Amino acid sequence: MFRHPWAPFLFLAPAFLGLFVFRFVPIGLSGVGSLFSENLRGDMVFVGWKNYAELFDDPSFWNTLKVTLIFNLIINPFQICCAMGLALLVRRPTRFMDVFRLSFIMPMTVSIALTSIIWSIMLDPTLGPVNSLLRWLGLPTQPFFRSERQALETLMLVATWKGAGYWMIFLLSGLLAIPKEVEDSALIDGATGFRKFISITLPLMKRPLAFVLVADTAANFLLFAPVYIITNGGPNGATQLLMFEAYQAAFAYINHGRSMAISTIILLVVLVIAVLELRLFRPAEEERS
Amino acid sequence: MTISRRQFAKTAALGAAAVCMPSIVRAQQTTLKVVWMGWPDNQVLPLMAEFEKRNPSIKLAVERMPFQQIFQALEIRLNARNGDPDVFIVDSPLTASYAARGHLMELDGIIDKKRFAPSGIAAASFNGKIYSAPFGSSMQVMFYNKEMFRAAGVTPPSADPAARWTWEQVVEAGKKMAKPADNIWGFTFEQQERPYQLLPMGQSLGGVPLSPDGFKATGFIDGPGFVEGFTFMQKMYTESKISPPGQFDTALTPELFGAGKCAMMVAGTFVFDTLKNKFPNLDFGVAPHPYFAKGKPVTPTGAWHFGVNARTQQKAAASQFVTDMLSDDMNVLWYKLRPYVPTLNAVWEKEAASFGSDLWKIAKYDVQNTAIPRPATPGFREYEDIVRVALRDIQSGANAQQILTAAAQKIDREIAKYKG
Repeated sequence: MFRHPWAPFLFLAPAFLGLFVFRFVPIGLSGVGSLFSENLRGDMVFVGWKNYAELFDDPSFWNTLKVTLIFNLIINPFQICCAMGLALLVRRPTRFMDVFRLSFIMPMTVSIALTSIIWSIMLDPTLGPVNSLLRWLGLPTQPFFRSERQALETLMLVATWKGAGYWMIFLLSGLLAIPKEVEDSALIDGATGFRKFISITLPLMKRPLAFVLVADTAANFLLFAPVYIITNGGPNGATQLLMFEAYQAAFAYINHGRSMAISTIILLVVLVIAVLELRLFRPAEEERS
Repeated sequence: MTISRRQFAKTAALGAAAVCMPSIVRAQQTTLKVVWMGWPDNQVLPLMAEFEKRNPSIKLAVERMPFQQIFQALEIRLNARNGDPDVFIVDSPLTASYAARGHLMELDGIIDKKRFAPSGIAAASFNGKIYSAPFGSSMQVMFYNKEMFRAAGVTPPSADPAARWTWEQVVEAGKKMAKPADNIWGFTFEQQERPYQLLPMGQSLGGVPLSPDGFKATGFIDGPGFVEGFTFMQKMYTESKISPPGQFDTALTPELFGAGKCAMMVAGTFVFDTLKNKFPNLDFGVAPHPYFAKGKPVTPTGAWHFGVNARTQQKAAASQFVTDMLSDDMNVLWYKLRPYVPTLNAVWEKEAASFGSDLWKIAKYDVQNTAIPRPATPGFREYEDIVRVALRDIQSGANAQQILTAAAQKIDREIAKYKG
């Protein structure tokens, strides 16, 4: 049976079916739906590129796009640096290592909604324990999510608290796969720790890093729950990310065509960035052969 | 022991009947999916239990949702355009929005208009037909903590609407009691971000929140009255610092007041019982809603209604729900569970004895003299959400004029789909 020419396709069929139903169909529906507008009774009316034209004509959309790009330009490298740092820290077996590994992975087990609620309470400007601690230490209290200047940075920190441990697992498995002989020979050649990291570890981590970067970028472009639960896009649009804008268009402003146009734009932006990232991390010719 | 074939057949038939009976009973029983506001158990469950007691063949599957999420969640459910839920709670200004989009069943044949206050019927109507069932209106008063006023040596506000405090007086008194560093505050709105409670700040200064036809916000919500009123509100958070910023959870602000950490709170009449029951040692009084010294008294009013999904498969049971819930005694029960301003005339008569307190004297005066409902427009869902976010931004310190101008443009864009 396993030798039948159709066997590989049969085994792959369930995965492809899932991919088709839960990925390609919604993407297709979103793309097509963005060319339609829904009237009050729920009927779809073909409007062509009108939804896109309205978006490109809307200054608030450009602000949202700008905020989303800034957010991703900072958070993706930051999260990966944190994840890499954590992976390097927990790579070598030392005392209490299990405790450290567990503490880094713990945030992963908390749902993003719960994470948002926990941090919205922790960082509440009036009643939050973090400001109580700052007050106790004699330091000025901070507005965190309630400040136009601090909200986006605070959002990045919360998302990193949640995400860094998750991405660490992938990088850790990459680090553990580096042959010990290569590192040993570098040491024999007199390489310092930093030199070894730059010349040996990083080049050999290109593949896991490429995967983590692309997956992390996609995840952060789709970040929604903390914005919905904590900031509602504010203050003054400071945390207005594209995903939240798409949600608002669909469920607050009852404008499904606009919402699907925004979703399609997110998809295209992520696609372009993912291709660029994969090119950047493409292994050298000799590594591929 | 031996049994005959006939006995065996009888026993088998009885056994089968015993097995099938519950499912037969279940088959006769209708289940209504009800989405209701997330009020506390003791304010909702007795009402639903009473309905089920009266209608043994109808079972209610009640889902209660928090105030912060209920409208978005309902939007998602209703946009699926099926019969789920069968019955749902309706914030009265949303009646037109839901009706225009075919989410509400007409209730003209079920509701006797004469039994209700005309304002209740007006809020329930769209294009001359009734689409939602009035289930209590609302009025806002200002609660104050007598102990905090005594300790600060400040004379508390009078309960007489003729001696109503101005916002300027509220800020002056608040400054004497607020200690932000110790998390002690002078004043808070129960609903810090909701147009419902905040629009009167602009209306008191002559602002009109939306054009009379309900389709234009530019030149209205961004007019001078609202800019001045909301800038004044902003300064309560950023300059005089008498108000706790970012407390958008409507369950938290009464807690803050009840725990003696806030001297004054503008909140609905329905908060009175919650405070009495939850904080029995709290010594508090009630005063009329403030206004601006150079303006006129304006108080917010609105109403909770409920409606039947136009696509429900359980029309008979849902109609029964409307009829029973609007009966005199069920409305009296509801008033006792959560004292909203009644919209059913019979409740005012039957519960006349309970309307003699300061709270109800103020509520009655304001409902007749100063109350202005939220703007009537089929686009209220969009209007409210955009103004809500704008109010958050203004509270955080953003320029009120810029924020309101941008909000007005956004409202105009989103509301346009309801024209023609």
